[in-house]
Amino acid sequence: MKWITREHPKIDRIASPWLIKRFIDPDAEIIYVPFSDVLSQAASLDAIPFDIPGVEHTHYADECTFDYLVKKYRITDPAVLAMAPIVRGADTDRHDMAPQASGLWAISAGLAYNYNDDHELLDKGMLIYDALYSWARHLQHEKHTQQPYEHLLLEMFNRFFKPKQREGSHMPAWAQELKEMIQDHIDSSLSLKELSKDLDINPSYLSREFSKHFNNLSFGEYIRKQRIDRAIQLMEDPAYSLTEISYLTGFSDQSHFTRIFRKYTGQNPSTYRKNLLKK
Amino acid sequence: MKWITRERPKIDRIACPWLIKRFVDAEAVFLYVPKEEVFEQARVQEAIPYDIPGAEYSHYGEACTFDYVIRKHELSDPALQIIAIIVRGADTGRFDLAPQAAGLWAISAGLSHNYPDDHAQLEIGMKIYDALYSWARFARDERHSWDPDLLTYRKPK
Repeated sequence: MKWITREHPKIDRIASPWLIKRFIDPDAEIIYVPFSDVLSQAASLDAIPFDIPGVEHTHYADECTFDYLVKKYRITDPAVLAMAPIVRGADTDRHDMAPQASGLWAISAGLAYNYNDDHELLDKGMLIYDALYSWARHLQHEKHTQQPYEHLLLEMFNRFFKPKQREGSHMPAWAQELKEMIQDHIDSSLSLKELSKDLDINPSYLSREFSKHFNNLSFGEYIRKQRIDRAIQLMEDPAYSLTEISYLTGFSDQSHFTRIFRKYTGQNPSTYRKNLLKK
Repeated sequence: MKWITRERPKIDRIACPWLIKRFVDAEAVFLYVPKEEVFEQARVQEAIPYDIPGAEYSHYGEACTFDYVIRKHELSDPALQIIAIIVRGADTGRFDLAPQAAGLWAISAGLSHNYPDDHAQLEIGMKIYDALYSWARFARDERHSWDPDLLTYRKPK
């Protein structure tokens, strides 16, 4: 079958052809034409138009064409499902959707810059999505450290010796790392137990030491404060609804969000936002 | 000049050859051998060993070999500084260093899995780092999003 879309692809018009060729129609022929020619050429070439407004295979709300193909062709391969938010994030400038989205975007934007020929670009893109697929299927949970022993020594040095040198004024390395971990995962459920496992620190020690390094706040208080701060930050962008914000800041539902928000700021999220945008 | 390192590269042993070929020595030849043969082969073949503990071109503290090549050869292209942080983050599992590190790692790990031949992997890796360079240099502020209105908008003549 022939598939047709707009020229100068970046993400979705490379990722979707990859998905079509690998999972839907191995003999698919992909055609790139100027935007204004897509529909007329689709009719005369008997090709399926995709990733343009107004056709079946396209974006729906927050989801991109890749997502629609996964749904329509009932692709259940978990590796493809893991790739979808990466593609969606890179394609819709929502790099917060998956940690890998920013890197995929940078490499794809650079490839598009280097290859003017859309089919040459597609050839290279196929290799990239094959690689992403293999990673998602086999290597998602593998972490890479080049020289494990050196890294371990360095980590021990940082954890046990460095903090002593600057006691009082600076955070120890584990607290700094914990702070970053919390920042990175503020949209998901965070437990002290899990974090302490990741840091390889005894949870009761962590719980005891926590407030010393985090403005006298307990772990729970600190997390809630971070979530509220992040929510306020997101409120400045009118593109986010309050429901989305409560989801992006790790609250289980909007009423929970509203309750905690009011407790910390004395205002309902909607009132707070109104005042914020007025300024 | 010949450069030699351990086989089965992932990040640093692909990124460094790219950096060396593009900015230090366009004629450079790269060899991948089993870890225990690197120094012996380096002597026999008169190659520079890199990215292996004990070599001059290696990790120092939190900096990886890519950082060292930049420092040693005084490469001042600002795009390289941006790539260096991404490479360091991907190479040392510190994805917090740069937002692009996790994606570079995923794609590189997948490539290594798909290409058992180190030189075939290097060939594609060169294209990936060429792309990262173009992005860092020319397209870093470019944003990409889906906006049907913008797409169907016609400039008034």
